[in-house]
Amino acid sequence: MDLKTEVLIIGGGATGTGIARDLALRGIPSLLVEKGDFTSGASGRNQGLLHSGGRYAVNDPDAARECITENRILRRIAPHCIQPTEGLFVSLPEDGPEYRADFIRACGAAGIDTLPLSPREALAMEPRLNPRIIGAVQVPDGAIDPFTLVVENARDAESRGARILIHTEVTSLIRDGLRITGVHVRDRITDEAFAIGAAWVVNATGAWANHILRMAGLQIGLALSKGSMLITNTRLSERVLNRCRPSANGDIIVPNDTVSILGTTSMRVEDLERYEVTPEEVTFLVDELSRMIPDLKGERFTRAYAGVRPLLQSEENSDDRTISRGFALIDHGSFSGPAGLVTITGGKLMTYRLMAEKTVDFICERMGLHVPCSTHTQRLPGAGQGHTLKDRLLRLRRQTPAAKGELLCDCELVPREAVDAILREGKVRELQDILHRTRLAKGTCQGGFCVYRLLGLLNERNKTDVSGGSNRILKDFLEERWKGIRPVLWGTSLKEEELIESIYKGMFNLTHEELHPNPPPSKGEGNLPARLGGGEA
Amino acid sequence: MKRFDLIVIGTGLAGLMAARTATAMGAKVLIVGKGMGALTLFGNTVDILGEIPPGTEMAEGITRWIAAHPKHPYARTGWEGIKSAITAFQELFLPPYPFAASGRGNSLLPTGAGTMRPTWLIPVTMAAGAAMIPAETLIVGFRGFKDFQGDTVSLHLKCRGVTLSLPRYGMEGLTAPAIARLMDDTSFRERLGESIRQQMAGERFIGLPAVLGLRDPAAVLKTLETVTGARVFEIPMLPPSIPGTRVFHRFREELIAKGADFRMGHSVSGVMVKDGWCEGISIPNPPLVAEYRADRFILATGRFLGGGLWAEMDRIIEPVFNIPVFQPGERGQWFGERFFDPEAHPIHRAGVVTDADLCPVDAAGRVVLANVWAAGSILAHHQAIEEKSREGIDIATGFLAAKRALAS
Repeated sequence: MDLKTEVLIIGGGATGTGIARDLALRGIPSLLVEKGDFTSGASGRNQGLLHSGGRYAVNDPDAARECITENRILRRIAPHCIQPTEGLFVSLPEDGPEYRADFIRACGAAGIDTLPLSPREALAMEPRLNPRIIGAVQVPDGAIDPFTLVVENARDAESRGARILIHTEVTSLIRDGLRITGVHVRDRITDEAFAIGAAWVVNATGAWANHILRMAGLQIGLALSKGSMLITNTRLSERVLNRCRPSANGDIIVPNDTVSILGTTSMRVEDLERYEVTPEEVTFLVDELSRMIPDLKGERFTRAYAGVRPLLQSEENSDDRTISRGFALIDHGSFSGPAGLVTITGGKLMTYRLMAEKTVDFICERMGLHVPCSTHTQRLPGAGQGHTLKDRLLRLRRQTPAAKGELLCDCELVPREAVDAILREGKVRELQDILHRTRLAKGTCQGGFCVYRLLGLLNERNKTDVSGGSNRILKDFLEERWKGIRPVLWGTSLKEEELIESIYKGMFNLTHEELHPNPPPSKGEGNLPARLGGGEA
Repeated sequence: MKRFDLIVIGTGLAGLMAARTATAMGAKVLIVGKGMGALTLFGNTVDILGEIPPGTEMAEGITRWIAAHPKHPYARTGWEGIKSAITAFQELFLPPYPFAASGRGNSLLPTGAGTMRPTWLIPVTMAAGAAMIPAETLIVGFRGFKDFQGDTVSLHLKCRGVTLSLPRYGMEGLTAPAIARLMDDTSFRERLGESIRQQMAGERFIGLPAVLGLRDPAAVLKTLETVTGARVFEIPMLPPSIPGTRVFHRFREELIAKGADFRMGHSVSGVMVKDGWCEGISIPNPPLVAEYRADRFILATGRFLGGGLWAEMDRIIEPVFNIPVFQPGERGQWFGERFFDPEAHPIHRAGVVTDADLCPVDAAGRVVLANVWAAGSILAHHQAIEEKSREGIDIATGFLAAKRALAS
């Protein structure tokens, strides 16, 4: 199977899918390949913060202005992906009043609305805050659901003619003299290899940018910075809570539906496939954020995770054409590299749309097309549909009694039918694809109960035709789950873990495969989560 | 104020066994606990030591194993201690609902994941599982009962499987206790047996989720076997555990008949300790706090799940008496890198260290409280989950702690 397209996009994060949508809206054919599922990189591993820009106001006014502009656009085009919680910048005695004054001034200059609050007012709004605060400033922060945002961009692009292939990895670039004319790819599930020809190849792989560029003998100055986060079992605050001081580690708590996300840290990493949240980072985050919420230590933490930010080091590499401070669009053909290849990296989730706009503007200019961008006005297809817990409860209430009785997950209210609907679409290929598209495994037990039930359903639908059967998939899932759970195992989480171990290692004896009737042959599948196989029987 | 010969803290299998042993010796016993312990979550069969391969004679295997594990709780009881405790346990479970070993070693029983699991004593409702032949077995699941996935079991065991709609399946999702209560009704189980019979294609064994009644499981088994003409067995599944609940009820019935006092649903809120001696405990009973005094105390509060141990970010504590807890290094060292590490996670070795009589000792080996004994999974240096030794440790150390306590 060989394919052809006008623009080939590598990377299924916010930037890649944003570019696919922008191209589609301007009528330019594109094909996107992603080696995992959507949001496998930083787009799926961030704090879910809808920045007001306040965080950058004092030190980076350009980034702040970018943020507040995109903030307003996203509220318009993707209201269903956003919880308009507002945010507070909270001053503790050690933060002093000076930064607060600078902050208010800088926000004003960047066009960010601020509302100064007295300690009493702030404590009335957020009772768990440290009573020793000396003041707070309200800004238009919020929470954003990156997965829905990305899937919606992808869905809209597809409905306008773009093609998207997930679990498809670029293995090499096709070069014709001085020009890149396409890519060789491999389907990671079927192992099928094929070529895709394209007039332009866009490298939108974020932290993986150099991984692709190395295939063309190129490199850009990119530092990889790991940020670690913790998720609490309950929501700690109504609003986003930031420390009102120069940006530092452990200075933010973002509420999201029924939970809160604590962040973050910053550590250089070398290997993008192998990094973890360390016990020291966890201890640091809990200690540091206890200054804002003093009784944080008694909280139950359900999971830790980390993402890798691609940070541009433009000063070290004068070849980079820096469009803005946050991100860079590099036309490699303009600098000793092959033509037809552009890299868009750096930046942040907040500016994904702007990054896509600049990329497509550039490609249009080179193609000699004059079609303006419309992603800032065209709403995403699901806009107007609610995604909050309240909306889920309302939808559940409208369902038939029989369907209501069949909840796979009692914590997150996921009905069997929701999974059946995803299976009918026929696009999911791995267990994790299903978990991404539902709230399964996102509640208190982190899938300890519902994934067993989900696999029962998949067995019933003949979707687990893999070596070792569904227990292979179950074990891979439990290993994946372990990475997130292990760093937060103390207190109540440890109680839950004893329960889960007692079930899967104790009662189901899954460790001892030698005793089971269907020993899984080792086919060298490595760490790849077992695929879903088969079809309807 | 009532004064007791012995107060047992913890209503799991270890506490129940200690209380039962003490009442059988004529002691006046109070048993207090906030829940029903792991027993009602995972208790299905009685594991002694699953690590002993099926085919190895248990007495021989375990004696050798103990010699290689001198810190393990079994090293305190020895095989003889395990055997007499198990015999005492079996005396509580007489026909028609006995627990018996199916051979001289461990047997393998099918589980709710379609895997096989080694165990020692098997209740009569699960006995046929040890003898089942996949090609001659039908696995029956229930529509809407999500904690037993029949297709998962039949696919892995390579049996045939069917999913039945229960006649009384209503709007809500089915739970194990709800189905077990339905099974207690004779006409329900007769109709169920009939719908299974209609699905059969000559199978000689029938596997069902472990929900065959709470009150009289032997009668449920008999009805189903009579109607279907096949051997029927229960398969352990996700918590809660109906077979474990039966064990709990049987113990409670016996203890109450023998005059023991129960305080269920309460944690111990304080202890009265003086010069290394515990005089009493207090239990919040809002709006009052009740105090109970005794000559001896047995601590059988379980591990983290049961509340016997509590992990702070940097250390593990024992919340009732604040007895020193053996802990394997700092938090970063508590767990292995992989969930299914071949070695059990180091934290599972944490717990209360005792002398040969099961009296908790400090790091220097000195007895902490002269009239307090510890029993069950709270003890250090076992790996009950991976070893498959949970019930064996509970029964053997509960039995021994009561014997030692009353001998003092």
